[in-house]
Amino acid sequence: MDKILEVKNLKISFRTSGGTVKAVRDISFDLERGRTVAIVGESGSGKSVTSKAILGILAGNSIIEGGEILYDGKDLLKISEEEMCKIRGDKISMIFQDPLSSLNPIVKIGKQITEAMLLKNKTSRREAKAEFDALIALLQKNMVAATGSDAKAKELCDIFKKFCLESNKLENSYNNSYSTAMAVMESIEDVSFRLSKNQKLDAKTELKSFAGNLKKVTDPFLTHNYASKLAAAADAISKEASAYDKKQGGLPAGLEKVLNETCELLKEILDQERPDFFEIGFYSLKNPGANLHEQSVAQVNQMCKDYLINNFMKEFIELEKQGVAYSYQQALEKKKALLQDLQEAETYFKGEFDKKSALAYAKTISDKVEASIDNLEITKDSAAYTFRTSLVSGIEKYFYYKKNNPKEEARFARQSKKRDALIARGKNVDWKVVPKVVFDLNDLKNDIVKAVTGLQNRYQDYIAASDNVDYEGRAVEIINSLKDKASKAVYKVTPAMAKEKAIKLMEEVGIAEPRMRYYQYPFEFSGGMRQRIVIAIALSADPEILICDEPTTALDVTIQAQILELINRLKAERNLSVIFITHDLGVVANMADDIAVMYAGKIVEYGTADDIFYDPRHPYTWALLSSMPDLDTKEKLDAIPGTPPNMIYPPVGDAFAARNKYAMQIDFEAQPPMFEISETHRAATWLLHPEAPAVEIPKIITDRIARMKQKAGGAQNG
Amino acid sequence: MANVNEKETLLKVEHLCQYFGPTKAVDDVSFEIKKGEVFGLVGESGCGKTTTGRSIIKIYDITSGSIYFKGQRICAGTKAYKDEIKLQKSLIKELKKSGAADASERIAAANARILELKTEIQKAKFDHNHSDREYAKTLIKQAEEEYAPKLEAAKNDPALLSAVQKEFKDQKHIAKNTKLITQIQMIFQDPIASLNPRMTVREIIAEGLVINGIKDQAYIDEKVFEILELVGLVREHAGRYPHEFSGGQRQRIGIARAVIMNPELLIADEPISALDVSIQAQVINLLNELREKLGLTILFIAHDLSVVKYFSDRIGVMYFGKMVELADSDELFAHPLHPYTRSLLSAIPLPDPHSEKNRQRIVYNSLAEHDYTVDKPTLREILPGHYVYCNDAEEAKYKKELGL
Repeated sequence: MDKILEVKNLKISFRTSGGTVKAVRDISFDLERGRTVAIVGESGSGKSVTSKAILGILAGNSIIEGGEILYDGKDLLKISEEEMCKIRGDKISMIFQDPLSSLNPIVKIGKQITEAMLLKNKTSRREAKAEFDALIALLQKNMVAATGSDAKAKELCDIFKKFCLESNKLENSYNNSYSTAMAVMESIEDVSFRLSKNQKLDAKTELKSFAGNLKKVTDPFLTHNYASKLAAAADAISKEASAYDKKQGGLPAGLEKVLNETCELLKEILDQERPDFFEIGFYSLKNPGANLHEQSVAQVNQMCKDYLINNFMKEFIELEKQGVAYSYQQALEKKKALLQDLQEAETYFKGEFDKKSALAYAKTISDKVEASIDNLEITKDSAAYTFRTSLVSGIEKYFYYKKNNPKEEARFARQSKKRDALIARGKNVDWKVVPKVVFDLNDLKNDIVKAVTGLQNRYQDYIAASDNVDYEGRAVEIINSLKDKASKAVYKVTPAMAKEKAIKLMEEVGIAEPRMRYYQYPFEFSGGMRQRIVIAIALSADPEILICDEPTTALDVTIQAQILELINRLKAERNLSVIFITHDLGVVANMADDIAVMYAGKIVEYGTADDIFYDPRHPYTWALLSSMPDLDTKEKLDAIPGTPPNMIYPPVGDAFAARNKYAMQIDFEAQPPMFEISETHRAATWLLHPEAPAVEIPKIITDRIARMKQKAGGAQNG
Repeated sequence: MANVNEKETLLKVEHLCQYFGPTKAVDDVSFEIKKGEVFGLVGESGCGKTTTGRSIIKIYDITSGSIYFKGQRICAGTKAYKDEIKLQKSLIKELKKSGAADASERIAAANARILELKTEIQKAKFDHNHSDREYAKTLIKQAEEEYAPKLEAAKNDPALLSAVQKEFKDQKHIAKNTKLITQIQMIFQDPIASLNPRMTVREIIAEGLVINGIKDQAYIDEKVFEILELVGLVREHAGRYPHEFSGGQRQRIGIARAVIMNPELLIADEPISALDVSIQAQVINLLNELREKLGLTILFIAHDLSVVKYFSDRIGVMYFGKMVELADSDELFAHPLHPYTRSLLSAIPLPDPHSEKNRQRIVYNSLAEHDYTVDKPTLREILPGHYVYCNDAEEAKYKKELGL
């Protein structure tokens, strides 16, 4: 599986006047591409803090005590604000709980929705172009080194570069026409429906805009057989538009016929097979002026594909494979050599060292590590990529606290003494001693050593797996990545396109009359509507990861269902990965592939949706499940007694013990470890210990599970 | 639920309309709430359910229609009457122009109708403004009727007579000062916004008593402590401020403030929507307990359908200011008839991944669904106790679906 985001041993606390609040205490989870992880828990359990840490927007009084958040070969906790800005909102986007705080009150919402699209547009084109060039140059270098022949590699790479960009230009023009045609078709359906229902509508303008837009559908691949028909349809519509009688209203028979015919024509056009532009690009590069539009799309596709494979691809992949293999072997050799160095580094960091020499040593070893990375790997090995940052920041943190710990202790002792003295003299003391922030130096040292040993293990695994590497697969992967980058490099968003896209998004999130609403200010919308705009904004930048922090809590059921469906659909379409934070288990069941149940800053149970709902193991999960009614619940609800613990003084044992009616003596004394229940399912409760007494799951849950199973069984049979 | 039907009607809403300018927030809504039942009101945000609740407690002056509480009209609007007067006047104008044979008779009839309507308006205005006094009058009358025979019996015994007289006087005093509207109380959605941050919990809870003229501090304290314990808080909390409490505790304070007035009807406007899951269960359980202990009748406004189903005896579904379906809660979930209700039920999220993944949501589009151009819809009883907003064609269709 392809992990897109890894959270490892994350610990976060907040400095407050009452003391340090331990908000997140050592949590780890992975987010795989195209899946949804739901984080469930009460307020104050640390779910929002986790998501804010991923986005790098923690409050000023937060202390990141440790851990890593790995994304795309970077540790998000340690990169600079500048780098974070490139990721935040673009690659990782967030929908906040409170829509008011995430909208600008003095900017019209249309502008706010299109802002990200337009902003991203230019820079991302430039960046994609740079990345494309860099990758292909690297590939060429390796090809040259592997085969020793300079000219051949250069020639092939140049051709590849040219036709990749060429084909994307063709595709771009095709897509523009396609989406215009689609938009016209949809709005024609909408308008004719509304006219037939006698709704108020400025029919003339609408019809004229159809005629105008139809003329913009010009891509030869899309319209080669239909050009004359399209022109005729546009003319017919504009004729009807000028003849339309406003006073009479309604949908006259003549207009209805024209609209229906246009719709059918557009449908036919849109239903055509899609040309394969990657192949066509090569063909038209080699045979400029060839008239491809006259044959059927299937024929063109087949012909161009054969042509590409015979004349270019075979050769290119063969050479590329050699390049990839060469690069891999080089990196492998370096990695093997590096293992010894890492061993030395481990002993070095275990012993005594001073800051200057340690940093110098870290630099040399990091240089070596970076040299050993196989740059032609598409899925980046985050351990190697983040080695330098984690090592250097570990060392700096160690020395900072080595220097500051005694100071902090002294300050704390001094202030406490002063306060005690004042109290002893009978003074009314209305200030509190600022709590001390000290770190265990051994822990910090261990973090440094862990960075080294982590990489060591990683490389050992890598070397062990070196015998069966699929070079061909890697070569294809590189070609796909190049294709992707090239398409980004030429994909241009014009303001008009952005507006159309924004209106489409607004429609998708359920805002009625988006064309009118596009020009309104945020305060003209109700709460639910504002939330939908926020969702539209978050989606407008096409993020890779979407973090949803209780996005539907303030909305009512029908809208909630619409928005969840929307997020699910976008997830499937764009292979989006979602982190979904909520306390509503019904919503979780709908959205989540994996669920992390959080309590008091820890993950107490982790598993797939089926694991958590059909086989819950932790008493807190039981309590959550049994405290909400479903449609068949008749009995009294099991409310969870009491409140979550004060996280300034986190409990010694299981944090949930005090509210847990199944708590045993050991729950108050020691933290339970994570017990593996199955490959996907784990829970931290002493009840899973082999020596624990067997307990009964609350009846309300067993009944519900039985009901659900029965229903599922019935559905399968029926 | 058969026994509920036999119980007396506590609240009756008749043709309630609440317009804010051109916006028809609530449009011709009628329903009854029986004593001791929980009546759920559901619908999407902006459909007028909160407005209905607020109109009942007289936060708004209603546009048209009447609301009866314990048989006494407490709210009345005049727009319907005024509209009819306009209609009659234009009719008179037309008749005068046309010069038909029976014109003078019909004009006289119309004029009589206008007079009738004008008195109706006066009555409505009077009832709307003086409902408390009228109610007090009926109470005094009751007391007089009750004590007349007693006084008569004690006529010959001066000691007993003075005792009965004193009792009678007290009763009359209580009756005179009873305000009908205080017997309807409301719990608000947002426990943070609805509590005054500068008042202590004791002041917040006792405010209603103080406003009603009770000056005995010891009595107030005793009452506040009693209520605090009733809603699951402790005496020590009385001296604290709202910000020192968690969300669930704040909502308990809101409930305590409503319950201290010893209301008969509690309007709970989304009391749990802003709370955490575990606390939602606590508040629902608390409301259930209070309902049993105090015999409360509750109008429960919410959009979480699983909670409404769990908590309510009968449910009314609202859509854009109209009541579109009204039935016993089991009946409504078993046989939803109106397409909007079906769409609403199909959207409920359930804690069951399998059914969730296969869920088919029904989309409701009022324009596409109904054709009301000729045949106008009304709220009709399809089954005993099951009302649907439909026209003739739809009524036939629904009945056929139910196999009637």
